[in-house]
Amino acid sequence: MVQAFMGSGARRVFRFGGALLWLSLSPWAQAQEPRAAASSPVSARAQAPFDLTGYWVSLITQNWRFRMVLPGRGDYAGIPINPKGKQFADAWQPAADIAAGRQCEAYGAPSVMQIPERLRIGWQDDETLRVDTDEGMQTRLLYFGAAASAPVSPSLQGTSRSRWAMFALTNPAGAAAPQSAAQRYGTLVVTTEHLMPGLLRKNGVPYGAQTKLSEYWKLRTLRSTRWLLISTKVTDPEYLAAPYVYDSIFQQEPDGARWAPGACSLTS
Amino acid sequence: MKFRSVVLAALMGMATVLYAEAVRAQFDLSGNWAGESSEDPVEHTAGGFPDMFAGIPLNENARQAGLTAPGDEMQELNRQCEPWPAHYLLVGPWGGRFAALRDQAGHVIAWTLSSPAYDRLPMTIWMDGRPAPPPLSLHTYAGLSTGRWEGDTLVVTTSLLKDAYLLDNGLPSSNQETDTFFLTRYGDEMTIMLVVDDPIYLEAPYVSARTMKLISGGSIVDNPILYCMPAETIQGFTDGHHSAVELPPQEAHQEAYLAHVYGLPREATDGGAQTMYPEFAKKLVGYRPPVCTLYCAQNRRVPPDPFRR
Repeated sequence: MVQAFMGSGARRVFRFGGALLWLSLSPWAQAQEPRAAASSPVSARAQAPFDLTGYWVSLITQNWRFRMVLPGRGDYAGIPINPKGKQFADAWQPAADIAAGRQCEAYGAPSVMQIPERLRIGWQDDETLRVDTDEGMQTRLLYFGAAASAPVSPSLQGTSRSRWAMFALTNPAGAAAPQSAAQRYGTLVVTTEHLMPGLLRKNGVPYGAQTKLSEYWKLRTLRSTRWLLISTKVTDPEYLAAPYVYDSIFQQEPDGARWAPGACSLTS
Repeated sequence: MKFRSVVLAALMGMATVLYAEAVRAQFDLSGNWAGESSEDPVEHTAGGFPDMFAGIPLNENARQAGLTAPGDEMQELNRQCEPWPAHYLLVGPWGGRFAALRDQAGHVIAWTLSSPAYDRLPMTIWMDGRPAPPPLSLHTYAGLSTGRWEGDTLVVTTSLLKDAYLLDNGLPSSNQETDTFFLTRYGDEMTIMLVVDDPIYLEAPYVSARTMKLISGGSIVDNPILYCMPAETIQGFTDGHHSAVELPPQEAHQEAYLAHVYGLPREATDGGAQTMYPEFAKKLVGYRPPVCTLYCAQNRRVPPDPFRR
């Protein structure tokens, strides 16, 4: 039908137009919004636009006085705590929680990336990224694809569903242009729920069981240094009046020589 | 035949234009952006804490300059209205308005970032591939910024800045500073990471980040108009501790002050690259900050004090 409609002249025009379209789009191919990776047999590990595996150390250049030492009692600055949350925090006594074996309640997914620590990141399998912390010895499992749909019970780290938001060079027909790993760009998008209640700050600022977490994990490179920027938004209808948003920065280390596992603590 | 060819060619042309415009619009930074993330809410608004440099990879030059910076200096009429350099986008309270500057063909040749506050000059990010300027070019508070896209991220390099302050507790920044911004938009949010290199005052890059939110219309609360009005005397500006005639080392005085105000040892408040890393937290076990009495339940931002820079 198409062939019947298009004479040779029309085909030439079509080819010329297609070429024109492709050429005209190439400058703008760099300006596309990240898009979700289409479901395909390619594994999450193979799709990764950047390599997160290895050891990373947190850089505490922001919120230093809340992260490097115990925050002052009653100091909730920066957290959109609601009256119920403030009431909880004002009455909070660490000794009671320690006695109850809840030393790790400040190391749940909504707050663990703020802890001064090192991360060890690796692929547990093709569809699961494993993130270990040395401080508090926590493990976050970031599930991609079908692995994310497994039913789970609430836990300290919750259930994290992940996807690569890919920035892909595409041709006008929508097919991805061939790219090497070095040419791919994107963001790891993580959403977490099914969390046990815990603490956002080690002076009693709480989060509840309905808390949800959304994160953007992004690699930044300058000269030979690689940083992992994790932008986090915590929503909690129980204790927060608005989303709590913060950014965590990690710098890559060459190896695990400084990896130093330590137990959770509510007193340091 | 000719008619169909002409129709097809026209359709192709229209598709080209429409598709290119659609794609271009998807990655548009234009709009009013307000700070959304919560880091250092007091330091970035009401002002940095005097002599508190923990987490900043400063060197000894910067430390001495910071310790001797008197609040009095900001009383000087000729300095009260000094704007901040480009890094104020991260360390200050304001968001800003991004707008595209386009050529006749509609291509973005620059992004401009403006703020209604007097203390941050408009920033122009040139996207036209111009070469890096010679080092002896004019230095300004806004500096000269060039940008390039790395995938979904706008990478901006800013140099040719003037001597100024890194933080408003007196930590200096030099005219040799180079700022590298990474801006990535995710729908109505944008993350910005900044790497500050300053061979005069930093012993390692100072890295910080911030998330901003697109606001419709531009709220007066998020981006208020702020004029500078020089005054002979600014009441309550100094903190009673600093004075132009007090110079370090006055160890006993300094340490007593720091222990009283922050509950921290001098080694921590002196800052330096070591204070950025987790190992340093081990040295602070047992230190307790005092009970919070000021700005304690600040949800997001302290109302700006027009007399603080």
